Amino acid sequence: MSGKLRPGEARNRRDTVAALLFLLPNFLGFVIFTSGPVIFSLAASFTNWNLQQTVPFRWVGFENYGRLLADPEFHLYAVNTAYFLLGMPLAIAGSLCLAMMLSQKLKGIVVYRTLFYLPSFTSGVALMILWKALYNPDFGPVNAMIDWVTHSLHLSIAAPQWLLSTQNVLGLDVEKVGFTAKQLGIGARDAIIIMGIWTAVGGNNMLLYLAALTNVPQELSEAAELDGAGPWQVFRNVTWPQLAPTTFFIVVMSFIGGLQGGFEQARVMTAGGPAGTTTTLAYHIYTKAFEEFQIGYASAVSWVLFALVFAATAVNWKFGNREVSY
Amino acid sequence: MRVFFAATFVVLIALSLLAWSIRPNVAEPGKTALTWVSDDNPARREQINLFNRLHKDLTLRLDPNNTGMEKVIVQSLAGVGPDLFDCYDTFQLSAYVKSGIAWNVTDELAKLGLDPAKQTWKAVQADSIYEGRAYGFGNNVGADAVWFNKSIFDREGIPYPKGPWRWPEFIKLAQRLTHRDANGRATQFGFMCEWWQWLHFVYQFGGRVYSEDGTRCVVDSPETVAAVQLLYDLIYKYKVMPSPVEEAAMATQGGWGSGTITRFGADKGAMALGGRWWLCTLRDYKGLRLGVVECPYSVKRVFRGYGKGTLINKNSPHRQEALKFLVYQAGREYNQLINDQADALGPVVQFAYEPRYLLNPKHPEEDYNVVWRDALERATPDQYSPFINGQVALRLLNKQLDLVKNNQKTAKAAMRDAALQLNREIARGLEQDPELARRYREITGRTAPGGAQ
Repeated sequence: MSGKLRPGEARNRRDTVAALLFLLPNFLGFVIFTSGPVIFSLAASFTNWNLQQTVPFRWVGFENYGRLLADPEFHLYAVNTAYFLLGMPLAIAGSLCLAMMLSQKLKGIVVYRTLFYLPSFTSGVALMILWKALYNPDFGPVNAMIDWVTHSLHLSIAAPQWLLSTQNVLGLDVEKVGFTAKQLGIGARDAIIIMGIWTAVGGNNMLLYLAALTNVPQELSEAAELDGAGPWQVFRNVTWPQLAPTTFFIVVMSFIGGLQGGFEQARVMTAGGPAGTTTTLAYHIYTKAFEEFQIGYASAVSWVLFALVFAATAVNWKFGNREVSY
Repeated sequence: MRVFFAATFVVLIALSLLAWSIRPNVAEPGKTALTWVSDDNPARREQINLFNRLHKDLTLRLDPNNTGMEKVIVQSLAGVGPDLFDCYDTFQLSAYVKSGIAWNVTDELAKLGLDPAKQTWKAVQADSIYEGRAYGFGNNVGADAVWFNKSIFDREGIPYPKGPWRWPEFIKLAQRLTHRDANGRATQFGFMCEWWQWLHFVYQFGGRVYSEDGTRCVVDSPETVAAVQLLYDLIYKYKVMPSPVEEAAMATQGGWGSGTITRFGADKGAMALGGRWWLCTLRDYKGLRLGVVECPYSVKRVFRGYGKGTLINKNSPHRQEALKFLVYQAGREYNQLINDQADALGPVVQFAYEPRYLLNPKHPEEDYNVVWRDALERATPDQYSPFINGQVALRLLNKQLDLVKNNQKTAKAAMRDAALQLNREIARGLEQDPELARRYREITGRTAPGGAQ
């Protein structure tokens, strides 16, 4: 074999080297700051590692996983996390409705689109502090409005205590997984869901739907209308199927986001309370790792959360994809 | 392509050099910079300025952004921690010691003629002395008493309260001073306190969180249950104290202090359980006339003492210089400053017994300093168990207290469940930690239940 490269091969090799060099900083960053810690956390989840040096470091196998699966707190916080997903269909439906309204060819529609997207520009912490004030049971505008309505209608309904209440619309128990009539009502979890819906309706999902709506062929809708279809039938049989890929994407991303979410809200608005009712798995991981220093256990919770996200996404992919036609 | 790549590399190097050259100087030339992780407030700034004036070779600067035990431990272990940091309770101290970042300064302090066990208030020793060894020095210390608003008492024609007194007498007075409008909304509370002060009640009911040897949680004792019950009754039975809803209405976002202080300062409460440090805020309320009386008691005339110590990072390259800060905290200038600022009390007992403490010339109206000192004399520091992670204990206890506070559970049931959960957690700790299991055997003479070998 000749050691000399032909001119084309040499150029290809130079290009490859250049491309690899360009990729290298990003790749190194990814390895050091993303995949490295991820693998490290997997290893940590099989240890008893905590930041207190009196406990000898040792491999504990699946002990952390066994412990968390038997831990009632983990079950409660997993239920809390699942409960927060209840807002997801409403948020997605809201985004779609809004996108449909904002896709009308009206004068000044861009201003409306900007206004509705505005919450997405605002800092999440600022929004949460604002909502905390809105939810104040005594002086907050939300209860002031509820009080005004109930008073006007001569109803004797007490306004919710919002972030201070352990109650919820499903009547989930506070201390064990189950239901109890005592907890039926509206409380902190619902308050956070409502805030989440408000934030999500005008957010990125709306933009995705707006973009998708512009791609729905106009001639399909016109043909349906010529055939006598009403607005609902046009939507149901023409627009909605065309939006299926976008909806599928939004559902998958919302599921992933929802399962990983709840940290900011707990940190800023409720400290995970009252009585742990707004503690999600994400906040639980933080508490275990950085307040209680049980790094090994927290890593195990992280990996179980990953497994849940992965499983939910796989289920979505398997069953949700059926309605999608590209 | 290669030229572009090389140019980008050169530009990045140049920018890095530029950034290096314009980095802010943490200390003037010839001075050593020390970093102190503590909360930021005007009092703290004054304390730092005085230290810098007294130590020309050092520049102490405040880092308020890295407070929090987890940050201090992680950064110190990584070699980028502060030189000095605060410690608020024995659990924190034990965590700092066990993580290997707190410097044992017992010998160094002794060489300098300092003995925190003898010089400082007992309530603050829990924040700097662990198992007989000193890891720092007290920063400030206090015990709560009852503030009262003299103007409200005068307006209602009620004589100022005097201690020592008992809860039944106090409750009658608080009921007289509580006023509600036609809708039942309080326009003035007779009493204000916050639930995190619950241990103040527990100690004076003769209750405990842990058994004397720390091996068991005993919050289900009748004394502790009675203390929590009183807190509940003050809200729901006697209706003299804000409910959680009313408390939330008073809460302020951020800032220094809490909603209770600001509401009390705004004449919305006749009496409030709080510390001398409230003055750092209340002095700004013009026209507010204040009095202080010892807190009523139940079984024991004791009060919860609390404070903070300042520790030195064992891995700090400037730990010898940082020692000077501990010496400063033991000195007259610092203690007098703290006492004058009313940032609680200075850590050294001696300075609270000087005439200067009783009468601050800038605030002659504050004629109640003796009450704070007397309360501190009777103060007991927070109980601690080495057998449980304090953060876990706090979370479990707070959850149960939340349920009582929100009228979801009786005090008895909540404390029973809290004790169960904490004891389960203690048993788990004994299983995992051979050192703890050994200590358990030493204390009790028994093998730890399921203990590590």
